[in-house]
Amino acid sequence: MNDKQRRMQYLKFRWKDYGVGYLFMLPWIVGFASFVAFPVGWSIYNSFNDIDLTSEGFKYTWVGFQNYYDMLFRNTAYPIILITEFLELLITIPMILIFAFFISLLLNQKFPGRGIMRAIFFLPVIFTTGQVIFQMFSTGAGELPFMETYNIRGIADRFFGGWLEDAVVNVLSQAVIILWYSGVQILIFLAGFQTIPRTLYEAIRVDGASPWESFWKITFPGMIPFMGLNAIYTIVDMFTFPFNPVLEIVSRNMFDASRGYGYASAMAWLYFLLIMILIFIALWFTGRASRKGRE
Amino acid sequence: MKWGQTVRQIKGEMTGAMDSRKAQQVKKMILGQNVNDGWLAKIVLLLMLIVIAFLYVQPIIEMISTSLKTLGDLIDPVVGFIPREMTMQNFLDAWKGLKYPEAFGITLFLALFGSIFQVLSCSLTGYALARLKFPGKNLFFVLTIVAFLVPPQITIVPLYMIFYQLGWLYTPLVILVPALLAQGIRGALFVIIFRQFFLSQPKALEEAAKMDGASAFRLFFRIMLPLAKASCLVVFLFSFIWYWNMYYEVELLLSQGFTPLSIRLDQLETNLVGNRALNFIGNPADPVSEGPRMAAAFLIVLPPVILYLIAQRWFTEGIERTGMVE
Repeated sequence: MNDKQRRMQYLKFRWKDYGVGYLFMLPWIVGFASFVAFPVGWSIYNSFNDIDLTSEGFKYTWVGFQNYYDMLFRNTAYPIILITEFLELLITIPMILIFAFFISLLLNQKFPGRGIMRAIFFLPVIFTTGQVIFQMFSTGAGELPFMETYNIRGIADRFFGGWLEDAVVNVLSQAVIILWYSGVQILIFLAGFQTIPRTLYEAIRVDGASPWESFWKITFPGMIPFMGLNAIYTIVDMFTFPFNPVLEIVSRNMFDASRGYGYASAMAWLYFLLIMILIFIALWFTGRASRKGRE
Repeated sequence: MKWGQTVRQIKGEMTGAMDSRKAQQVKKMILGQNVNDGWLAKIVLLLMLIVIAFLYVQPIIEMISTSLKTLGDLIDPVVGFIPREMTMQNFLDAWKGLKYPEAFGITLFLALFGSIFQVLSCSLTGYALARLKFPGKNLFFVLTIVAFLVPPQITIVPLYMIFYQLGWLYTPLVILVPALLAQGIRGALFVIIFRQFFLSQPKALEEAAKMDGASAFRLFFRIMLPLAKASCLVVFLFSFIWYWNMYYEVELLLSQGFTPLSIRLDQLETNLVGNRALNFIGNPADPVSEGPRMAAAFLIVLPPVILYLIAQRWFTEGIERTGMVE
């Protein structure tokens, strides 16, 4: 057996190993190609086309960036809605994170009835996906009881003026959404608390640190990766949120004969790009913060 | 004389010390040694949680109360949470409007098989990404994350066209085939969960099995999958509930024929037209249809709530043991 043959044999052996890996991945590869890659590619292609629905099917006309241009400079409503939605996300996401963190901190303590409390706080996981929550909100069952009783709008009017008032009232009236969309986040944070070893707390207590200090020195830095995870989960979650006004417009345009599906695809892609920016911001922050914590 | 005085003094000091020790004990009980284990802290904590928990439970109570109210009670603003007279009429309407037994069967079929398929396919993929060696593995992992980020709004119309070409529209295949190929509802997230779990397992397991001459598949199904029982359960439960509630995807792909409950909730008003209480389709906040719609919503969430109450322990504890933790 010469060197070459031995090499061949070795490669054969390696590829047999690799083959098993690919065999395990096969369902995913087929699924990804047909249900993710292909639709995404098609959708990108669509966004550069003007699509007419004729009796023989779709008729494509290549228009380049025309759809994007129209959407940004001709359509007066879409950019405004996009920006408002983006600003609201910027307020809502940190609020969801802070709320979920606070609740999970409380749920992580020992107290009587912890099991029941945990059960209640995970209920949103069951309710928030799908049509049921939409029905609950449209009949007013999901509104915060104090919003009307205490005339929150009037108070906000006195302290904040103009656009800030609108944003504050909007977020407050969506306070329930913050409550209802933090189920999974609470779960992830609770799981995160378990990863911090108990001995660390004991060690810092022996060193004479107060609980306040041990929270900021140990708990908080340890939880930063989970905040990043939660931030990304929240962003993706809000993306497919049933009341999302941007997606409403996209869906409406999808089946609108005058502008067509190509235009709607362009709208969806622009929104997706904005969301990707948010995700990168979240990743960058957590990356920087956890590096800082390690130093 | 002097001696007696000293004794009395010592006695007094002793009782004083005793008192202060008792006081210390009481103080310790109330305030605790740390911030979080005294009575006071616990009461404050519990109060805070109860207030917030009420906000969570309140819409559910309102849903149940609305579904039990008669039309007169719904219109009357004086009537609060408790209806003047209970009626089951709303539930009867909802039952009829949803065609509940049939729709229940369809939804159960989709959710059950969808989630079983997802557990199988996602665990297979997660295992390969965590433990097997092959070129391009990192690329596949990045693509998994991309798949998680791509919103369904972008892919839904191309998917509709694909399923239309295949002739699968309005059949359960539109749900089951993607599930079997690890691209079901939030499949990418489940792949990541499984990958994380398998990464945390000791390497020696596989080496031992390989020594014994077990094939990769045998190793996976006999050893690795049973080890991942907790992850499987969490993925199954989440997947089941998400499939049960799934709305956006099926709104287009299963809008006729094989319709699950969530779509029928949407069509409830149309289905009930001609019914004595609902002879027009009003605005969503219209009290006329509010009763049946809330009753329908209750009927829909009831099965997952029951499942959740049974499996609650695994939901909340299992997740702490699975690979959700990086």
